[in-house]
Amino acid sequence: MLNEKRIILMTKMASYEEKEGKKNLKIGNYFRSDYIAIQVLKSVLCATIAFAIVFALFILYDFETFMQDIYKMDLIGFARSVLIYYGVTVVVYGSLSYIICSYRYAKAKKSLKCYYHNLKKLNAMYNTRK
Amino acid sequence: MTGLLELREKIKLIYSKNEVFILPIAKFLLAFIVFNTINGQMGYMTRLDNIAIVLIVSLMCSFLPMGCMLLLSALFSLLHMYALSMEVALVGLCVYLLMFLLFFRFSPKDSLVVVLTPLLFLFKLPYVIPVAMGLIGTPVSAVSVGCGVIVYYLLMTVVNSASTIGTMGAEEAVAKIRLIIDGILDNRAMLVTVTAFAITVIVVYLIRRMAVDYSWTIAMVAGAMIDLVILLIGDLLYDTNISVLNAVLGSIVAVLVAKVIEFFRFCVDYSRTEKTQFEDDEYYYYVKAVPKMTVAAPTKTVKKINTQRRPAAPAGRSTGGTGTRSTTRSVVTEHTSVARGDDSYGRQKGQGAYSHRNEYANGGRSVTINSSMTEDSIEDYEDL
Repeated sequence: MLNEKRIILMTKMASYEEKEGKKNLKIGNYFRSDYIAIQVLKSVLCATIAFAIVFALFILYDFETFMQDIYKMDLIGFARSVLIYYGVTVVVYGSLSYIICSYRYAKAKKSLKCYYHNLKKLNAMYNTRK
Repeated sequence: MTGLLELREKIKLIYSKNEVFILPIAKFLLAFIVFNTINGQMGYMTRLDNIAIVLIVSLMCSFLPMGCMLLLSALFSLLHMYALSMEVALVGLCVYLLMFLLFFRFSPKDSLVVVLTPLLFLFKLPYVIPVAMGLIGTPVSAVSVGCGVIVYYLLMTVVNSASTIGTMGAEEAVAKIRLIIDGILDNRAMLVTVTAFAITVIVVYLIRRMAVDYSWTIAMVAGAMIDLVILLIGDLLYDTNISVLNAVLGSIVAVLVAKVIEFFRFCVDYSRTEKTQFEDDEYYYYVKAVPKMTVAAPTKTVKKINTQRRPAAPAGRSTGGTGTRSTTRSVVTEHTSVARGDDSYGRQKGQGAYSHRNEYANGGRSVTINSSMTEDSIEDYEDL
């Protein structure tokens, strides 16, 4: 005898696991602090690479002038301003990714709460059958 | 209206039955158009400007994920830029990398938008994208739309500067880089368009999520108007030479396309809205329920009944060679079932009954299982 209610519940849970649940389950496997830390770390790395690319383009843009002025300019001041820009970029992008990842984690957890509740219900259905 | 609803259910049924074929064919066609357009607009690398290569790559894109189509089209454009000038390709690569590292981390599933936006710009229908993405996407889709606009203006800068770059020699590498970077950074039209589209996506999203009647219609009209207003303001401030007539016509087309999207995605009947209030131990609930517009999709089953007739004459008599005659009758039975638009997990709240229908090939019989969901079981399927 097929238990229709159980089959319906299992089908829907399987469908959830295939689609949006895949991403949510991955996120749900982390603690909140760990997930956000990893994402912010990745963002900082991406921001660093992006800043390096922009800096390289900036140098290339005015390469001849830069080469001529390199001996005359205040290198330490230039380096300090570059580091300040880098710091600002990393802080802004890191904060933005912190906010987005916190929101994503909260949304994933809320969705997974329903999923786990239905998982318990399914378990209860199996236990009552026994 | 009923005819349109039935047509919608038929289209959904055809799509759900043949999704395995329809999706790859659609991806193949889109990839074919994209790569042909890139070759047509740029075409500096003659080896790539070959129908065989376009067909092979489009075929690959048909069974690979959407992200691969985006990657391959970026590669195509970079190869054409490389054929024009290595410096141009370097700047193009840097722009793509920047977009991927900074922006695309947060909306990777909107890669279709980044491919479609430049294409619709070339077909003079760019204003459809922000309204459509506001209706079916999230606010983060504004990032993908912005990336699509930047890609379009980068490619147009390269195309417009191609003749100038072609005359420059190898010793003017820095000048070439400067030309392309200036073409992107000083491009006021791009800045205004990105701002207008991003704000439109967010506004459309916010309005359509409101719990007011006809929120989707209000959202699409408001979005189109805000888009137009920002583009006109940008034209006044920065003299971007945007064609007002094109913008107005494009916005009207955008609203029409959005109406079609609404019909398929969010067709509700506000005249039958129900409101109720109830409380439990923790909260007091104010509930507004708006029923979806559904129609029973008539389906036909053909029952073939084979009847065998015994010969009229008794045994021993000659029957003239007629023997046994068998006839087949067919009976057409019409079954109606409530067609459901969305079978995803947890979205069947409040639906009282649904049916599974299994057709067996044995002798044309069809078996219908009807089951009804009780109030208790409805609570089990919370909205995910």
